[in-house]
Amino acid sequence: MNPGDVPPTVAHAGDSVAIGQIGIAKGSGVLRTFVGSCVGLVLHARSQRAAGLAHVMLPVSNGRGTSPGKYADTAVAETLRLLREATGETTLACTAKLVGGATMFAFQSGTPIGEQNVLALEQILADLGIPITGRICGGRHGRRVAVDVVTGTVTVETAGHGTETLV
Amino acid sequence: MTHDDGRLAAIFHHGAADASIALAKWLGRPAALSVERLETLPIVEAAAVMGSSETLICGCAMRIDGAIGGLLLLAADDDAGLSLADTLLERPAGTSTSWGDLERSAVIETANIVGCAYLNAICAALGSAGADGILPSPPVFLRDFPESMMEAVLMEQTVLSDIVLLARTEFRIDGTPVGCGLVFLPDAASVAALLPPASDSGAST
Repeated sequence: MNPGDVPPTVAHAGDSVAIGQIGIAKGSGVLRTFVGSCVGLVLHARSQRAAGLAHVMLPVSNGRGTSPGKYADTAVAETLRLLREATGETTLACTAKLVGGATMFAFQSGTPIGEQNVLALEQILADLGIPITGRICGGRHGRRVAVDVVTGTVTVETAGHGTETLV
Repeated sequence: MTHDDGRLAAIFHHGAADASIALAKWLGRPAALSVERLETLPIVEAAAVMGSSETLICGCAMRIDGAIGGLLLLAADDDAGLSLADTLLERPAGTSTSWGDLERSAVIETANIVGCAYLNAICAALGSAGADGILPSPPVFLRDFPESMMEAVLMEQTVLSDIVLLARTEFRIDGTPVGCGLVFLPDAASVAALLPPASDSGAST
């Protein structure tokens, strides 16, 4: 890829969802990513056995539309759109899980960007009426995230601190 | 925008040369830094520059302000970091097997000394644009997944752009690569200072 090329936005089951990307899968498989200060936003449509995983870096896009997975305010809408497209449904009953938002380097003054990401996603999901059924957020360490597309179960390994499961 | 790649490379090689002297003096044995990567990259590629391993690595991060700003990360796999600590603590190789306070301090001081030598030399190579020098934060030690670490380093640099300038150096001790190096991501203002348009760089045709 040449500098300036826009990387592919959407990953699929089996792929690792890269920074700022959205992964979508239906029927089977696992979506994976690593997060630090970024937040892994998981949207799961149980009836359709489909899931989306967005790797959100920043809370607001301020009108920048080239990488919808990168910003909280565009990632939720785009993940929902991709899930509707993948399932063929015009309306979906989704639940959400949030993982990440760590403060790995305490260089910033004010609210750390990881916390801003979590707060932005919580507000957007509340506005849309999407319940958050699990979260592992904050702290000072990165996390490895794996989403079971069928069950919506999220397995989270926090660096040096073991593994937890969000059912 | 086009820029003068030769000028940019010369600036970072100058930084690596001064940092090599500092590293060799600090370790008390032959050591050098070489510039392995110097390029503008999409953030997706930059995040993967240290690989996608599930094995934890160690790192020391410093926020840099001043004439050149950004984030500097000394990153090493555990074996390399602990070996570095053994050298600095004048212990037989293999003595350090976990990250206690002494081992962390050894790596933190290495990041401080070598990182500052590197960036001070880069400032000097910029001439008047670098005259204010650098103001580094105290290094922060962490052990984490390489992708999570790079993501945190990238975070502040990607607010305005999906493209970053990334410089990666590797350490060689006694002529051998040791699995340890520096990653520097200049902030947007510093990228502008480092990458002026070719027509402004004074290059002759």
